[in-house]
Amino acid sequence: MDTIFWILSIITIIGAVMAITLRNLIHCVLSLILFFLGIAGHYFLLRADFLGAVQVLIYIGAVAVLMLFAIMLTRHVTGDEGPREVLGGKWWAGMGTAVIIAGLLWAIIRKDQIAQALPAGVAKTSVAEIGKALVGDWVVPFEAMAVLLTAALIGAVVIALEEVIRKR
Amino acid sequence: MFLSYLLGWLPRIGKPIAAFLSNPPEWVLVALAIAIPIGFVMAVFPGIFAYTTLVERKALGRIQNRIGPNRVGRWGILQPIADGVKLLTKEDIVPRRADKFVHFLAPVIAVIPSVLLFSVVPVGMGLVPVDLNIGILFAFAVSTASVLALFMGGWASRNKFSLLGAMRAVAQVVSYEVPMVLAAVAVVMVVGSLSTVRIAQAQSGGILNITNWFVFRPWGLVGFVLFTIGAMAESARTPFDIPEAESEIIAGYHTEYSGFKFALFQLGEYLASIAMAGITVTMFLGGYNGPGSGPGFLGGLISMFWFFAKLAFMIVITIWIRGTWPRVRVDQLMGFAWKVLLPMSIVNIVAVGFWHYLTIRPIAWLLTTSWLVAWFIVLSKLAATEKFAPRTYRYAS
Repeated sequence: MDTIFWILSIITIIGAVMAITLRNLIHCVLSLILFFLGIAGHYFLLRADFLGAVQVLIYIGAVAVLMLFAIMLTRHVTGDEGPREVLGGKWWAGMGTAVIIAGLLWAIIRKDQIAQALPAGVAKTSVAEIGKALVGDWVVPFEAMAVLLTAALIGAVVIALEEVIRKR
Repeated sequence: MFLSYLLGWLPRIGKPIAAFLSNPPEWVLVALAIAIPIGFVMAVFPGIFAYTTLVERKALGRIQNRIGPNRVGRWGILQPIADGVKLLTKEDIVPRRADKFVHFLAPVIAVIPSVLLFSVVPVGMGLVPVDLNIGILFAFAVSTASVLALFMGGWASRNKFSLLGAMRAVAQVVSYEVPMVLAAVAVVMVVGSLSTVRIAQAQSGGILNITNWFVFRPWGLVGFVLFTIGAMAESARTPFDIPEAESEIIAGYHTEYSGFKFALFQLGEYLASIAMAGITVTMFLGGYNGPGSGPGFLGGLISMFWFFAKLAFMIVITIWIRGTWPRVRVDQLMGFAWKVLLPMSIVNIVAVGFWHYLTIRPIAWLLTTSWLVAWFIVLSKLAATEKFAPRTYRYAS
């Protein structure tokens, strides 16, 4: 279990680092996909198999493919020209973010509320329970999300329609 | 008996071996439990792929009034082996301006999701590599990953035709994914589980183990048609093969591939198509259920026979469609997915709701059937943008 965790973590970190340092945008997205895969592997390792499958389905199948599509429609994909600055002069901003995230994580892990709420042993999350929670306790946020997404969809259609009308 | 007698001859090494065989350590069992399903999947399904290509070439030949391959072995039975040797010994050409690493990676990635798909397909009663409780979702998640390979191959080749093919592939797969998943939702709602094994079990019983197949329900029939169309579009089979349309864009995303890499692309594509056929069989055609299937050794064998017979049926149907139907245009393809298949799959989900709450079966049959038929008529009328009139001739009338 531990070795698998380390292998997955290394793959995830390599993917993340490559995603921000590579020069070719397509390569960046492909490394980002590697990172998503690593995260999905972590979910599977934690026995959250529903979350893992959804991670692959949504992030790799939809988000990353959409990014690839968007990049393909732009020019200058390779980006070989010009200087590259990942952090630039603002290295302190990155450091600050890292410190804040590390502190937050440390505080959360130390409090350990999530671990205390769960029974000991292997966590058991079933799709049925997630579904019941979504349409039971969390039905209002769930429906709000649905409305928000529908609004976004209609907005996209409206923007596209305006373009069509202007062309005529 | 005989084995232990034989081993008695060699007491020195015989005893430890006998002890090992009768009470193997745990790691051996784990290794065997991992190796047997993987070995089965890797041996059987590529074999089916090899002979699918032969059957396809033969059948297409007959449809086009040719004979098809018949030189290598009787009835061309060794043709797949000859093809494999030929592809292995061909020169591997990589375009000079290609993105070498991505170009190399694409065919590899094309195969992995297709093979992973088989891990949730139950090929017989109790015969499934992994009984995931999210089986169907896993299959969809894995099958979307295959679009990456098409994209990578098309983009890395630095060829306009390849890139066009890749863009078409991405648009097509993303569009047809949606109605396909929604068609599967209908089955999941009825069974109440995402596990492929549970879905297959839910279709046992009835007269001769046949009448409970989901394809013999109004929503099941609609779902079956939607899912089959979606699966064919996902694996770019012929009415939907615009990503690799030979007459328009050479070979689409695998224009710049030769030799074994090309073979890997073909392998991935066919394996995905076979796996999708297997999932279609599991979800709608009763899976491994059929007359005589049941628990026990013989029942298990019969259930395997039924699964593979139905798989062969689905494969032959796709070949038949390939041989007889013209390729759709890009705009027709997109319009069909978004204006017909998607609304129809949502309507189908509502029909399943009716089916679930109307416990009196005849009323449920009547209501769901009329609901689906009415919507089908409405949607097909709405989607018909072209008027079909008798052809008029200007000069040759």
